[in-house]
Amino acid sequence: MSLITWKDEFSVGVAAVDLEHRELIELINGLDGDMQEHATQTTVVETLGEIYARISAHFALEEKIMRDAGYDGFAAHKQDHERLLDELLDVIDSVDDAGRYDRAGLSRDLDRWFSEHFRTHDARLHQKLG
Amino acid sequence: MNRVVQAFLYAAFAAFVGYLSVAPAYQYADPEIAVIKLSLSHAAERVEACVKLTPQQINERAMKGEPINECERERLPLAVELDVDGATVLSLAAVPSGLWKDGPASVYERLAIDAGVHTITARLRDSARETGWDYAYSEEVSLAPGRYFTITFRAENGGFEFR
Amino acid sequence: MELIKRALAHAFARFEAVFEYAFGQRNTPFAWLGALGWYFYWIVAATGVYLYIFFDTGITDAYASVEYMTHDQWYAAGIMRSLHRYASDALVVVVVLHIFREFAFDRLRGRRFFAWLTGLPLLAFIYLCGISGYWLVWDQLAQYIAVATTEWLDTLPLFGEPIANNFLNSTTLGGRFFTLMVFIHIFGPLFMLLLMWVHIQRHSQAKVNPPRPLAIGTLAVLVILSLVFPAVSQGPADLDVVPAELGFDWFYLAGYPLLDLVPGGQLWLYLFAAFLVLAVLPWIPPAERVPAAAVNLENCNGCTRCFDDCPFGAINMVPRSDGRAYESEPVVNVNQCTSCGICVGSCPTSTPFRRSGPLQPGIELPDRSIADLRDELVAGTGETRVIVFACDTGDTDELEQDGVKVIRLPCVGMLPPSFVDFALARHHAEGVMIAGCAEGDCQHRLGNDWTIERMARRRDPYLRQRVDERRLCLSWLPRDSTRRRQRALAEFRVTLSEIDDE
Repeated sequence: MSLITWKDEFSVGVAAVDLEHRELIELINGLDGDMQEHATQTTVVETLGEIYARISAHFALEEKIMRDAGYDGFAAHKQDHERLLDELLDVIDSVDDAGRYDRAGLSRDLDRWFSEHFRTHDARLHQKLG
Repeated sequence: MNRVVQAFLYAAFAAFVGYLSVAPAYQYADPEIAVIKLSLSHAAERVEACVKLTPQQINERAMKGEPINECERERLPLAVELDVDGATVLSLAAVPSGLWKDGPASVYERLAIDAGVHTITARLRDSARETGWDYAYSEEVSLAPGRYFTITFRAENGGFEFR
Repeated sequence: MELIKRALAHAFARFEAVFEYAFGQRNTPFAWLGALGWYFYWIVAATGVYLYIFFDTGITDAYASVEYMTHDQWYAAGIMRSLHRYASDALVVVVVLHIFREFAFDRLRGRRFFAWLTGLPLLAFIYLCGISGYWLVWDQLAQYIAVATTEWLDTLPLFGEPIANNFLNSTTLGGRFFTLMVFIHIFGPLFMLLLMWVHIQRHSQAKVNPPRPLAIGTLAVLVILSLVFPAVSQGPADLDVVPAELGFDWFYLAGYPLLDLVPGGQLWLYLFAAFLVLAVLPWIPPAERVPAAAVNLENCNGCTRCFDDCPFGAINMVPRSDGRAYESEPVVNVNQCTSCGICVGSCPTSTPFRRSGPLQPGIELPDRSIADLRDELVAGTGETRVIVFACDTGDTDELEQDGVKVIRLPCVGMLPPSFVDFALARHHAEGVMIAGCAEGDCQHRLGNDWTIERMARRRDPYLRQRVDERRLCLSWLPRDSTRRRQRALAEFRVTLSEIDDE
């Protein structure tokens, strides 16, 4: 049972962005699965780091597309990107420092962040991009 | 940031630019002397005289549209001499211009000379003769200080022109 | 050669110190020599347009019209004329300084040859325009220039009849030759503008506008000079009269007295030889071949940050080639890439937090990988108090000391901000110092500007919000600033210990 299921509302209407959304969801679901099977803390931290790198690139691409399109909600959307990156890093750090991970809390956070961001900002972007 | 030093640096820059744009003055020539300028451009005769063609040959060529002369292109060097008060101050042979040395030869020389009365003689040889000159001209002139005296040459006007 | 450069660079550093003090690092004229050149060009062009309205082409009319402008209309055309002259002179000053400085600071070597090489014809045109300008006044100085220049040109086998004959005496000058000079003086600068454009082609966001304080200051001082010391002509030209004493504009005419000492033909030889030597300088001695940046498509989605940040326009975005759904990918032009690494600093996947698999970003310098960078950063954790990321250009050897680790980069712009976050958040150091060139004078043009913007969270990739700025020290200093740098480091360490005491 995957943590996040692809919904149509996750689509932004741009093939590259949708591809990355799918890949990220796959990564997150994979991590969730690994945690369910009691993966080591090292594995979890490494996967989180991978998610962080990929999502940084993803946000960069989204921002370029928004800029090129002259999207009016750019500033707010970018702010949310920065916030998500900050929070993700905080999570990575707390897992690293604590020496163990809280599977339920982590999964809940990941789901909340991405689904919420998809639902609000990305959906609005899709609307504006037409 | 220091505006006072800035102002000083700006002023120094302006002074530097302002000064060097007119000074130090350049002394090109002594105002007491006169300058002779010799400049001429003249085509000497050809090294070898043109081949004499028979009237029949000339006719043939004219009919075919070919040139009616047959000449070696190369010209002689131009010999030029300049005397001031009997002493030769300039003696040179000017090479004809052009890749095949068939164009006019040019001479351009500048000479500083004391102001005053002088006898100037100019000579030119444009033929293959061994001695003597084809053109010569001599005149007693009064050279004013700080002025140019030009010597030019125009064959159609008879030769040298002094001014 | 190295010694000459080092000596010159040292001389510049000493001379520039007072300018840095007076103008501040960002606005010192020495960081804007090229831009000042452009600026003076525009002043000369604008005043030239105005002057041309009142200028009469013609052997007798030219001098009279200039006299009218200088005296009768002194308040407008007169000032314009002086400004025209002084701005042209100022142009020579900044361009000559610019040439020596770029040479001294080694900014023309190897793949950076383009601006240098295209600058050489530009230099020739500056002189062509300036000299033809003095010709137009048709005063005694113009007469001298006309005779001397045509006599010099006649030493080349270009003309059948000496063109100096035009200026033989007062009967020989035809109006057509004069018109030719006007033509040269108008179309010369126009063509020069084209050359100026070519000159900056391989520099993205080229600095062609000086900062406002400098622009206002230089214009003001040149206008004041024009009012206090107006440019005047030197008596009407008379080809029958030998010019005796002449007020010389040494900025443009310094070479002319040489014609009286050295035969014209020889002088041409020296000139051509000089240009030849200048032209080959980028390759003498051959520049070190550092590998260009390399793209890794697996880790790249075409976000264009590297394309945006490259100071030399060496990256181009082209349609995607690996079949993935991304639209574009960056391609590095290896003939233009100077291996500064600024693109690496801009790439979002250049993050040390990523740990599964080898750390490989979308774009990287093959011989200075960020995996190595991370290893260096991590090594010796526990003993390190301060990590200093330093660029190769500054003198940072003296910074090595107990508790300080110095990590060198080709340019500080190569440093991804995430490395700063990583160093501090993962407790590899208590403080991070970034030690780069003086502001506005980055050896690779935009490295320190981009770093400032990234750390201030104004340019992507932003430094993470959570980073405590007190633990980050940005140090921008000119070359030869070893002691100032050491002092900055010492002060930073004091600050850090104060934070820890809280």
